Parts: sequence; C-alpha cells; structure tokens
Amino acid sequence: MGMTREADVVRSLVEMADTLVDDYDVVDLLTGLTDRCVSLLDVSAAGVMLASPGGGLGLVASSSEAMRLLELFELQAEEGPCLDAFHSGEPVEQENLQAGSGRWPLFSAAAVKAGFQSAFALPLRLREVTLGALNLLSVTRTPIRQADLIVARAFADLATLSILQHRASTEAQRLNEQLSGALTSRIVIEQAKGVISERAGISLAEAFGGMRDYARHHNRRLTEVAQAAVDGTLDPSAWTAPRP
Amino acid sequence: MPIIRARDRIADMPGDRLRRVLAELSDGDGPWPAERLCAVFPRIAGVEGAGVMLMSGDIPSGSLCTSDDVSHLIEELQYTLGEGPCVDAYQQNRVVTEPDLAHPWITRWLAFTPPALQAGVRAVFGFPLRVGTVRLGALNLYRDRPGPLGADQHADALVLADVTARWVLEAQARAPDGAVPEELETGADFHFSVHNAAGIVSVQENISITEALIRLRAFAYGHDRLLAEVAQDVIAHRLRLG
Repeated sequence: MGMTREADVVRSLVEMADTLVDDYDVVDLLTGLTDRCVSLLDVSAAGVMLASPGGGLGLVASSSEAMRLLELFELQAEEGPCLDAFHSGEPVEQENLQAGSGRWPLFSAAAVKAGFQSAFALPLRLREVTLGALNLLSVTRTPIRQADLIVARAFADLATLSILQHRASTEAQRLNEQLSGALTSRIVIEQAKGVISERAGISLAEAFGGMRDYARHHNRRLTEVAQAAVDGTLDPSAWTAPRP
Repeated sequence: MPIIRARDRIADMPGDRLRRVLAELSDGDGPWPAERLCAVFPRIAGVEGAGVMLMSGDIPSGSLCTSDDVSHLIEELQYTLGEGPCVDAYQQNRVVTEPDLAHPWITRWLAFTPPALQAGVRAVFGFPLRVGTVRLGALNLYRDRPGPLGADQHADALVLADVTARWVLEAQARAPDGAVPEELETGADFHFSVHNAAGIVSVQENISITEALIRLRAFAYGHDRLLAEVAQDVIAHRLRLG
C-alpha cells in the first residue's frame, strides 16, 4: 500500500470508529462507507443494503445515481451479488459480468448496460448475525488486489459493529423510557391514594379500592383517575368508602 | 437464597470468582430475583454490603435491592439527601471511590458522611449502571474498614454493574406494555410511602404534590431523619407538617 493510501485508510477507520462511541445516523455512516470504498479502493461504485426487521433487504446507500438504480433493479429482479452475500453470509467472489458463471443473467445485463464489467460483494456480518451486504462494482475486469479486499472487509466489519452498537443503544433507550413512564404512572397512583385517603378519611388500601371501583364504574383507566385525583379534578362523590 | 460461604480462596485467577458467582446467579429457573443480585455482590467484590440505586432523570427513584441493613441505610440516606457515592457515580457517569470516609481525600457528602460513619461504613464505592449511552442508576459497595478495592474486585464490580443494568432492561422487555416489571414491583423499593405521604400532605396543607414532596424532604433534612420514616409518620397521622 502506498504511504498516502495507507494514511487515508487509517484515517477512514478512525473516523468510522468514532461512531462506536457517539450518537450518529446509520444512513450517514453507510453513505460515507460507499464514498470511502470508491475513493480508496479500485472500484467504480459501491452500494449497501440492510435487512429490515421483517427480513427483506432494502437499499440504504449508494455512491452514485447509476449505482442506486442498479441496486434497486437487483432487488426487483431478486438476483445479484448483494443478495447472494446477504443470504449466504459469505463474500461473493469477483465475477466477470459479461463472461462469468451466468448466475445473475438479469442483473449482469443491466450492470453491463450501465457500464460495469465486474462485481464482488461482502456481507455485513458479525458472527451469526448478517445485517446486510456491501456491493462493489468496477468498470474494468481487473482482478481485485488482495490489499483492497482486506481494506474492504475492515470497512464492512466496522460498519457492522457500529450498526449493531447503535441498535442496542436505541433499544436500551426505548426500554429505559418505558420504565420511566411506567414508574411515573405508578407513582401518580400512590400519590392519588394519599390524596383520596386524606379527603375521605379512609385508609390507603380503601382509597385504592375506591379508585379502582370508580375507574371500572365510569369506564376510565386507573392511571387517568389517579391523575384526576392528584390534579383535584376528580368528582368528590368518588371519595366515599367503596361499596362492600 | 444462596447461603454466605467461607471467604473465597485468595489464589483465585481473575474472573474465576466472577464466573462461579454468575453461574450461581443463574441457578434455578427463570430470571434472577432482584434480591439475589445484591446478596451475591458482596462476596464477589470482597465488601461487606451492596445496594443498587435506580435513578429517574437526575434524582434517585428508589433502590433495586440491598444486601443488609447498612446498605439499606446507605440507599435511604442518598434518597433523602440526594447526595452520596451512587448519586455522584450516576450524575458524573464514572466510578466514584472513597476508600476512607473518616479521612476523605475530597470534601463532599457533608450530610451523608456522619450518619454513614456512625452506622459503621468506612469505605464506599459507586459504579454507574449503564447500557451503552443509557444510564439507569448506580451500584454501591461498602466496607467497614478503610482501603481501596483491589484491581480484581474493581474489574469484577464493573461487570456486576453491567450485569445489573442489563437485568433491569431485560426485566422491562418482559413486562407487559406500560407496566412496571413484576421483578421490580415486588423486589425494588420505590418509596411509594413517600408518595402516599405527599398526597396526604397536599390535602392537609392545600398545596400541590410537588410542593408537598419538597416540604417532606425539607422536614426530613431539617430533623436529621430519613424521608421514608417521616413518610410513615405522616401516613400513620403521628406527624403533621404545619
């Protein structure tokens, strides 16, 4: 690797690694990935697909409009290097699109028409989890250099780690907010018990029973009734001892 | 409940003790109850007691578990006073250590320290509970003699904090929508009595709940009492905040 290329690769890796610790946008990360591949590797275009929760692949980033259209075509035609890499979880070796194995007749024809001569793809994978795939196309048939392959895999691995980290973080945040919300509702009920017990001169347990009966009788949610008690907007007739 | 065994062998390789205890925690069916977490932590970290504080926003919301009376007191003091090792560990998002409360190297926790010392607490350590960037609270460990945690113990405590944080979120993931997880409802202490008392005081003094909470806290602070105890007195009508 030449000195400047090595420096550029290292800088790219460091920049991508930043996303492991900071909040970031997944689309930005992957768009950056496709741009880096085109500028640092001997490829002409790059595209990234990610699987949605439902399991289907979607196009997330591409380095050019031509690539974007080609990737959309790949999804529609349901054949191509990206799909293979995703489904197998393995790298798809460089394929000569005009005279290759012919495993993607529709995709190859469209790619050649767009000016591409060869393609290879890497899965975005960490152990048993495959999130999507990275597609790398070239306008020449030059065999890919080993050095380029190593760099492409490093980029793909780092992108995968970042996405997994981001997802875990988002999920953790969602759960934490859920917990906060649930606790807040619970606490309002306890506060309402105090309010009602003092107003009606009954025990906390009786106050809770009264709230629950009132909620059921008026077809309202318990948390709503509790909030009304705390706000002072609850109908005073509710603060009588519960019926036996 | 696991019984407290003889002191662990000093010759344990790093991580061995932790691995054994994690295996212990997993003993039996289903998820571990909250109390089991605190019961085994002291053994791992080589301390007298452990407690886990949960935070909501920037204030303590309650304790997940405590391993003994002193740990319980440490949690109650922090809940009442809003200061202490867990509070700092959470708010500053870093491990907080005080190897000798009697001769602290930083002047802090002016209200927390005297009652803690009186209860026999000599060294305290706070480890933030977090999953990624999400912060949940802090784990508190205490000793009855001065001294820092050993490197192994410190490393194990970091893992314990991690395990606890994940335990909380996993419990939440299992809970039905909008509900507090069963494990927390039964095992944790969210100081519901304080909220009952706030409701009572808000009616007695004709003030908002928020104001009532402030007055309860001010009373506890001014009379050197735990907030939870003041709340019990209000509920029992032994005390009326005038």
